[in-house]
Amino acid sequence: MKPAPFDYFAPAATEEALSLLAEHGYDAKVLAGGQSLIPMMNFRLVQPSILVDLNNIAELAYLREGEDGGLRIGAMTRHRQVETSPLAAKRAPLIHAAMSKIAYPQVRTRGTFGGSVSHADPSAELPALSLALRGKFRLRSQRGERWVPAEEFFVSLFTTVLEPDELLVEASIPPMPPRSGWSLQEVARRPHDFALMGVAAVVTLDEKGLCKEARLTFISAGDRPMAAERAAEALKGQAPSPQVMKEAAEIASTQEIDPSSDIHATAEFRRHLANVLTRRALEQAFQRAAETTQEG
Amino acid sequence: MTTYNSIGKSLPRVDARGKVTGETPYAGDLSMPGMLHMKVLFAGRPHARIKSIDTRRAEAAPGVVAVFTAKDVPVNEYGLQWQDQPVLCGPGSSKPGADVVRFVGDQVAVVVAESEAQAAAAVKLIEVEYEDLPVVTDPLEAMKPGAPRVHEEIGDSNICVHYKIRKGNVDEAFAKADVIVESEYRTPVQEHAYLQPEAGLAYIDDEGRITVVCGGQWTHEDREQIAHALGLPEDHVRVIYPAIGGAFGGREDMSVQIILALAAWKLRKPVRIIWSRQESIIGHGKRHAVILRAKWGATKDGKVIAIENEIIGDGGAYMYTTNKVLGNSTITSTGPYFIPNVKTDVYGVYTNNVPGAAFRGFGAPQALFMAEMQMNKLAEKLGMDPVEFRLKNALKDGDTMGVGTPSPSPVSVIQCIEAAREKFGWKEGKRKEKGNGSHLKRGRGFAAGFKNIGFSFGYQENCWAKIELRGKAEVDEAILYHASAEVGQGTHTVMTQMAAEALGLPLEKVRLVASDTAVTGNSGSVSASRMTFMSGNAIRGAAEVALRKWKAEERPAVGEFKYLAPRTTNFEPETGYSTPNFAYAWVAQAAEVEVDTETGHVRVLRFVSADDVGQAINPALVQGQVEGAVVQAQGYAIQEEYKTKDGYVLTDQLSTYLIPTVLDIPEKVETVLVEVRDPNGPWGARGVGELPYLPVAPAIAAAIHDATGVWINEFPFTPERVLRALGKI
Ligand SMILES: Cc1cc2nc3c(=O)[nH]c(=O)nc-3n(C[C@H](O)[C@H](O)[C@H](O)COP(=O)(O)OP(=O)(O)OC[C@H]3O[C@@H](n4cnc5c(N)ncnc54)[C@H](O)[C@@H]3O)c2cc1C
Repeated sequence: MKPAPFDYFAPAATEEALSLLAEHGYDAKVLAGGQSLIPMMNFRLVQPSILVDLNNIAELAYLREGEDGGLRIGAMTRHRQVETSPLAAKRAPLIHAAMSKIAYPQVRTRGTFGGSVSHADPSAELPALSLALRGKFRLRSQRGERWVPAEEFFVSLFTTVLEPDELLVEASIPPMPPRSGWSLQEVARRPHDFALMGVAAVVTLDEKGLCKEARLTFISAGDRPMAAERAAEALKGQAPSPQVMKEAAEIASTQEIDPSSDIHATAEFRRHLANVLTRRALEQAFQRAAETTQEG
Repeated sequence: MTTYNSIGKSLPRVDARGKVTGETPYAGDLSMPGMLHMKVLFAGRPHARIKSIDTRRAEAAPGVVAVFTAKDVPVNEYGLQWQDQPVLCGPGSSKPGADVVRFVGDQVAVVVAESEAQAAAAVKLIEVEYEDLPVVTDPLEAMKPGAPRVHEEIGDSNICVHYKIRKGNVDEAFAKADVIVESEYRTPVQEHAYLQPEAGLAYIDDEGRITVVCGGQWTHEDREQIAHALGLPEDHVRVIYPAIGGAFGGREDMSVQIILALAAWKLRKPVRIIWSRQESIIGHGKRHAVILRAKWGATKDGKVIAIENEIIGDGGAYMYTTNKVLGNSTITSTGPYFIPNVKTDVYGVYTNNVPGAAFRGFGAPQALFMAEMQMNKLAEKLGMDPVEFRLKNALKDGDTMGVGTPSPSPVSVIQCIEAAREKFGWKEGKRKEKGNGSHLKRGRGFAAGFKNIGFSFGYQENCWAKIELRGKAEVDEAILYHASAEVGQGTHTVMTQMAAEALGLPLEKVRLVASDTAVTGNSGSVSASRMTFMSGNAIRGAAEVALRKWKAEERPAVGEFKYLAPRTTNFEPETGYSTPNFAYAWVAQAAEVEVDTETGHVRVLRFVSADDVGQAINPALVQGQVEGAVVQAQGYAIQEEYKTKDGYVLTDQLSTYLIPTVLDIPEKVETVLVEVRDPNGPWGARGVGELPYLPVAPAIAAAIHDATGVWINEFPFTPERVLRALGKI
């Protein structure tokens, strides 16, 4: 299928893009890597009358170290750039490690960080990881600029707090505290397909080796990236034993996610996977946290 | 040992360069000046009577040249075995029952327009008034008296095939059995998923013939069916195959051929059609889903003495080749073993599903899944090694098969079993599980199989070839004329090698002219793994005649030959007694898998396939067939799931119907060539296309059992199914 007719603008600067959005807002869509938008237009699931292409805006594609020691990612940074960046590997290892699980190289060469986050597909990696790492997003419009934390950014299926005249220009991923460990566990029908279920864990140990903080977020587990607060709470102050992790996995998978059934998997199967993967993620994350503690 | 000049060598494919560079056109690449475009209106509902069709709005739409419906088809029926399928469903044709659509992919009308977009837009303007009829999709329901009838006008029930095998006395034998295994199995539908969906171009050639250029498997059969539907003599129709993007049996039955011919004939203009993947998935036959019930008994010393099978194949809406597919299931349902007492009933049933069609293995993979599962379960019950158990029961020369007569000799299943065992390093007894306590469990499995080469059941197998030798004192060029379809398997390369060998010429001197009914005789279908065997014999015959004439100074020296294979016979109706085939090929395989017992994922780590191909004409191509077949069968066994609901297809795209990618296939596929020559095969060759596909699913099932301790009687072994079997969800 081919998309419905549309007008096309390819501004070379962010300001220009913002002015186009201010003018056309509700009728416009911004085009980033096009890996989600173009198929949706071809299937006529969306029919924007105006397309604002961001691909000429060089200033939106960058990776740099944040003042806090974390990572700042320009909206137009390609997945492939993150995947091959030593800086990303150092400052946001969880994000870096996730890249090879997103589709395959062709898609990653086009797809962007900003596009993936703005698209807010609950089965995508980056929304859930941003949530796990307490990332925040810088949104700009001609009206001004605001920072929105990931917890508040994702509203529901393919829906965020982005206003029609707003552009997501940057993501900021804070560093993990000392004595932290992380893990991303996924199951897909085929290695590069969207995950049937995915779990990201970020844990921090205190000086005594007890769990100081835990974050657990889920992919394909509801209408948006889901966080398991109660399971995280249950881990707090505990020594990371198999039993404790098992209980946390039980709480998260039975009480805190809302997976649905589709052609690829039943909700029941997804819950089961969430349980297994949460346990595996916690085991790996605590192991990594313990290792960094030893290193020092 | 004989040495050969051209055969037995892994020479490069004759078609490789053009295909790799993109120079070679496939059907969808063809175009002609003034060409029109065609789109089909599919029924989109599983069972309904068409009360009326109003095409006026479509006809008036921009760019539309013509709209054709049932009333425009002179003889509105076709089918490879039974002519039970309307070309276009709807009122107005003389064919009784043609006003009924019987599956979602039935064709109701075609629009021809100046552009594809215009044709697609106009299709939506056709108004069809349907009266929905009761839908029957479960073959067990469809068999019951009083079930909704799919074809009111054929027979007195939906049961369209019934074969019987009665050999020995099973009741007496079961009484003597020390162990009995009884199970019910279900094997799934599989989509062919060839790279190139159905496409074609039709025009009137300069001799006034309606010419259809498209992918297919048997030019002359396509021509016959087109001519029949148009009510024309066959010589008014010409069929040409360009490069074909895969077939696997799925192009044996027709799809776009007749409608293309109809449009070109009526409009006297070139017309092209290209199906989308979605159209391909709903519009054309798939592998039969089959229900198999088995009761097998063996004695303590490890001899299988009795089997009783009941096999029910879902034929879908039309016959296609269901009768032959299930005939093949009947023969292979004993496995490659000598079993003195056999009682088998095989049924084919019409339903409102997408038709069951020919697909690599042609009924054998389903029957062998049952047979090999039964063998592995019996071995376990007897406490015997499954390989030893097979060797004890394997067919030998002179042993009668289920059909009461021996297989043509030499029977080489024992050699295949031994070769697979050796290559795999199969040791008796269960190995110690490494990493006990881990959620990753490894296991190994073994299975064997066999299949006929060539057409069966009394059909006089034949194949045509012609060789023209040009030159003066020496042969400058040998032209081989042959109708065989190159569907990617390498037949054109193999035929060229065989012609060079037969003529004693270097390969470069042989030029092939193929797959055009205007210049070739009838060489039969590329199916039943028959083409190397059949074309090789035809080529040898033609070469002999041509060389004789060459010596007699004829220039050019032309040799034409029609090879006739040994006679076969059809099943005797009450007992199945017959000599249904003139040749078989044999196979044994071993698999090693890893099962994640928490997520249910099955990964094939290693796969060994030992195939008796008689003589490998081109060993690299044989290896390609083995690896391709194992990958395709692994998709069938583990991954691919054709989901339907009430006759509607839920997985009508490759994003929902998941075929293996390079990351899903076994890490290692090892091919062992077994070469036990067939006395009638050219240079001893048998065939290979289907063979390595056959026992893959049961080998994997056995490995899963070895890893986890559970037998799973239904596949694909998707993570969800494996977890349910393990009781985890
Ligand atoms: C075959 C395939 C497999 C895939 N598999 C995965 C996978 O496994 N995991 C995964 O996470 N993703 C997967 N994806 C999606 C991929 O990661 C996309 O890159 C991503 O979802 C969208 O990014 P994009 O840059 O292509 O955005 P686009 O498709 O260009 O845009 C997506 C949406 O975001 C909006 N948008 C884009 N940029 C901005 C911005 N800066 N500000 C405001 N709105 C914006 C657009 O208007 C549009 O609505 C897959 C895609 C394909 C085609």
